[in-house]
Amino acid sequence: MADGHGAWGWGYLPIFLLLFWATWLTRGAFLLFGEKVRLPQSVQTWLRYAPAAALGALVAPDLFLAGGAVTFKPELVAAVVVMVTAAFWRNPWAPFALGMLTLVALQNAFGG
Amino acid sequence: MSREPRRAAPEEPAWREALRLMMPLSLGLIPWSIATGLAMRAYGLSEGEAAAMNLFVYAATAQLGTLPLIVAGAPIAIVWLTAAVLNLRFVIYSAAISPAFHQQSWARRALGSYWLVDALFIVLGPRLNAEPDPERRWRLFFAAGLWCWGLWQLFGLIGIFGAEWLPRDWPLTFMGTIALLVLLVPLVKEAAMRVTALTSATVAILAYDLPLKSGVVIAVLAGLAAGGAWTSWQARRQGA
Repeated sequence: MADGHGAWGWGYLPIFLLLFWATWLTRGAFLLFGEKVRLPQSVQTWLRYAPAAALGALVAPDLFLAGGAVTFKPELVAAVVVMVTAAFWRNPWAPFALGMLTLVALQNAFGG
Repeated sequence: MSREPRRAAPEEPAWREALRLMMPLSLGLIPWSIATGLAMRAYGLSEGEAAAMNLFVYAATAQLGTLPLIVAGAPIAIVWLTAAVLNLRFVIYSAAISPAFHQQSWARRALGSYWLVDALFIVLGPRLNAEPDPERRWRLFFAAGLWCWGLWQLFGLIGIFGAEWLPRDWPLTFMGTIALLVLLVPLVKEAAMRVTALTSATVAILAYDLPLKSGVVIAVLAGLAAGGAWTSWQARRQGA
């Protein structure tokens, strides 16, 4: 954790101010800097793949790694529950409720 | 024009039409914003910091995706690049919705760039591009944007302050992972996206120990390369 970061700290604020630009400039790419430019189809395809690439990279370590080594974790089981729930049940609360329930139950059962 | 099309009823006010269109999908923002609030606190952000992140970043995916990197002390460049990559889909939205902002002032374009969230683009994008009156276009956008933003900030605060009442030993950082997984589900219905996500996930695990959390960037590039290779291979196979 960042130095000097207390319970009521503001230590991360500069980071959030920088991240503001990462959202505002992407959403504003064409609203702010000109609407005449057309995106070629190939560029659109790459832009469409970017979230899938980033989400895969960000989620995987939490599901497969413990202390830097590949481990079978309750998080993986909970993740499968989340994805199946989200795919077949439109209720927006269900993945959160069932995913947390699965993880807490497994951690209690196996002393996680 | 010789004849005005007759209207069955007086025109619905723009704000009411915007809310009516936004209502079903925007309610899905509620569990999402509560989960983000809880996850930010679980990662160790103070109440003020979490509220500030909701206000300044205002992009759930970028917020949840960068939290683990931020608390791990990753270099700001890596954190920023990760947020930007997660936000690249907004560039497509921006291009697709920009005709609706034709002849609008700089201030309106600036606010539009802050408010252009997924739900708004999905629901209102086609409607805006079909609306001939620029003033009504702006009113529709303004009402929908304010509604999504208000919902997000309000229920985000409920998550941020509600975290106190939940048991301390619940692994609430997993709320962030759940939110990201829910986003992944509709994407991986497409084969090319599955290849992209599986490749980047594998590389992220293999490259996890690389210094400065640079594994994330390498994994994203590997995923994009694999997705692109898959797509051109498919195109060639179909062409043959």
